[in-house]
Amino acid sequence: MRRFFTIVATAVMIWACSSDGGNDPTDDVVVDPTPDPVSFERGPMLMNWADNIIIPSYEAFSSEMTGLQSAFDSFKSDASEANLVAFRASWLSAYKMWQRVSMFEIGPAETLGLRLNVNIYPAGSDKIDGFITSGSYDLALASNRDAKGFPALDYLINGLGDRDEDILAKFNGTEKENLIAYTGDVIADMVSLSTNVLAEWNSGYRATFVANNGASSTASVDRFINDYVFYYEKFLRAGKMGIPVGAFSENVLPQNVEAYYKADVSNELFLEGIEAVQDFFNGVHYGKNTSGESLASYLDALNTVKDGDDLKKLINDQFDLAKTKVAALEPFRNEIEDNVPPTNMLLAYDEVQRIVPLLKVDMVSAMSVSIDFVDADGD
Amino acid sequence: MKKVLYTLAISSAVFLASCSSDDNASDMDEAIVIDNPASYSFERNEENTVSFGGQTTRILMAQELLGGFTTNTNTAEILKAMYAHEEGAEDFEDADLNASDKSLRSKTAASVDYFSTNATDQALIRADFESWIDGQVDEVFTNWNVAAEAGTAGQLADGEKTRYVNAQGLEYNQLFAKGLIGALMTDQALNNYLSTAVLDEGSSRADNDAGTVLEGKSYTNMEHKWDEAYGYVYGLNADASNPNADLGADSFLNEYIGKLEEDPDFAGIADDIFQAFKLGRAAIVAGDYEIRDAQADIIREKISQVIAVRGIFYMQRAKATLAEETPNYGSAFHALSEAYGFIYSLRFTRKPGSDAPYFTKAESEELLEELMEDGVNGLWDIEAETIDEISEDIAERFDFTVAQAGE
Repeated sequence: MRRFFTIVATAVMIWACSSDGGNDPTDDVVVDPTPDPVSFERGPMLMNWADNIIIPSYEAFSSEMTGLQSAFDSFKSDASEANLVAFRASWLSAYKMWQRVSMFEIGPAETLGLRLNVNIYPAGSDKIDGFITSGSYDLALASNRDAKGFPALDYLINGLGDRDEDILAKFNGTEKENLIAYTGDVIADMVSLSTNVLAEWNSGYRATFVANNGASSTASVDRFINDYVFYYEKFLRAGKMGIPVGAFSENVLPQNVEAYYKADVSNELFLEGIEAVQDFFNGVHYGKNTSGESLASYLDALNTVKDGDDLKKLINDQFDLAKTKVAALEPFRNEIEDNVPPTNMLLAYDEVQRIVPLLKVDMVSAMSVSIDFVDADGD
Repeated sequence: MKKVLYTLAISSAVFLASCSSDDNASDMDEAIVIDNPASYSFERNEENTVSFGGQTTRILMAQELLGGFTTNTNTAEILKAMYAHEEGAEDFEDADLNASDKSLRSKTAASVDYFSTNATDQALIRADFESWIDGQVDEVFTNWNVAAEAGTAGQLADGEKTRYVNAQGLEYNQLFAKGLIGALMTDQALNNYLSTAVLDEGSSRADNDAGTVLEGKSYTNMEHKWDEAYGYVYGLNADASNPNADLGADSFLNEYIGKLEEDPDFAGIADDIFQAFKLGRAAIVAGDYEIRDAQADIIREKISQVIAVRGIFYMQRAKATLAEETPNYGSAFHALSEAYGFIYSLRFTRKPGSDAPYFTKAESEELLEELMEDGVNGLWDIEAETIDEISEDIAERFDFTVAQAGE
């Protein structure tokens, strides 16, 4: 609450200081027009986001989904060890690509609730077992979101047994048909959701997103920055590290790590996620070394300094430090299960946390964006 | 009318002040010295005199009953038996609760001040709570695996959570929980145990003055009554003598005092309530009943405020959610269902210095009708203007604004 007032006060000050800010003439969606504080154009940044980052990332995710589907099809026709290993590799590859699109929960992804439909963890393993046995389930229901997506696949291909031969015994055993059918339904659901999101971006949402280039609480930039910071704070920082390491609870919760059953890839998934967030900050084009207008160049244009230092550099330095700390860790599950308290992971978490105020206070104040999300009150 | 009253009040205050300026009236006050301890701990002959086990038991029963609302294999009979528990019946997981002779239903709408001569409203209110149990079983459990839509009960996503609503979008468990805050915790505390009719019943004052304890107990009857009010607010806190250290220990009054405390517009309220309880209890030990009753009035005002503020808060939150480009109906209806329960609870509030609630039963029902009647599908049809009107109507009777409550 107090922080919000600070942001508003800062915003008012900046607004009052700007003498020659003008609105983009094509800007007809603005509800509450505020002159741009400096000459930075938000439109080109939105175009760079949409055309060079978001849509190419969704395209790559979609092709990962196709790869996952065909790996599953092979496994379905022959549940051999080689096909299981290949299926698992496709799953991990798609799961890593997911870390690059999870933050884009705006527009079509928001409408469909993509993130929570493909990645609620821990998976409801008892629920999944029940569905496989009964063969009766509706994966579209909100209450079944923890029985599908990447975490459900993690359980199905990594968690049904300790060794591959145990898992393969299940896929070739008495429940073979139900198990294959369920796995297929989970993948079909993911394929369908990701296909829909990409199609919406290509068939109109891209234009809506880019055209809404003003500066107000409903403008694309303001809304997306809220989504971006929310993703960083809640899903990357808390979901992947803070919650399992026990930062929000009395005890550590190792079962809450991402990809719990695979057990040794949580760090890899986290690092892919934070890399994606940093790349987005810097406007790096997906799959390329080039970059365009971004939050970083916006801060440059505003000439933002904090305590005498360049804010853009402070943020990038902190991203780098956090990544270094996390990269040095054992798999999260081992860190949490083998160390009491898990000191090294907590120290790394602290560096991940230090990015939050830089984004949520310093960056948004400079850009006159107000943070409008609140934590749900937990009931 | 109001103006005349103010004038009277001011002139009498001045009159009193001028009277007391040059006499020794203060000698009379000094006859009673109140020993107000730092924490809510009171002893007689080095023995603790604070006791409210029955209140703790009922709060625990309420929590377990609310948990039963989300187990879709429960029958109405099972849930109603938890609500109207009888000693020894195996209604709860917790064996201590089963052994208890306490019941939630018998203390619902059961205060001396409001219901001792109003058996009709008492029966109607208890019937409301039972109708929410029936609704959960007959309408919601039967559609447990159905996606809700306007006119159809079922489930809605709310972030990672899933909400289960009736055909009008109402979550019965929220109605029950937030309604119980009024009908049980608030009504029992404000209108029963803090009432002079209860504190001073029979020979209670004379016994308290004489230090005559209840048979086999360390406390006087009056001390115990006051503690029972305290127990409905702080019954689950880890350290009962210092409850503000872990506000939110239950999901009823305790939690929502904590919520107001977190809002800068109302910060300080947790200490105000606690200090009033503590000073009132110390005043009972000292035999100063004026101070005691003044503290009861403070508690009545503040706890009534908690209910009103949270009612408005949840309505305003829902309004903001519904205004979004992609409204999260699960989140909005969850908030509105909480608001429904708090508005229901307004009838159990207590205006200080009076025998009346801030909103009568009829007035609270009118607000609820307004909330549900923007269209045939209830919350699915609700309009922002309606939310604002109800919010304003509530805030008008308190000394805070909708904006203060809503953020």
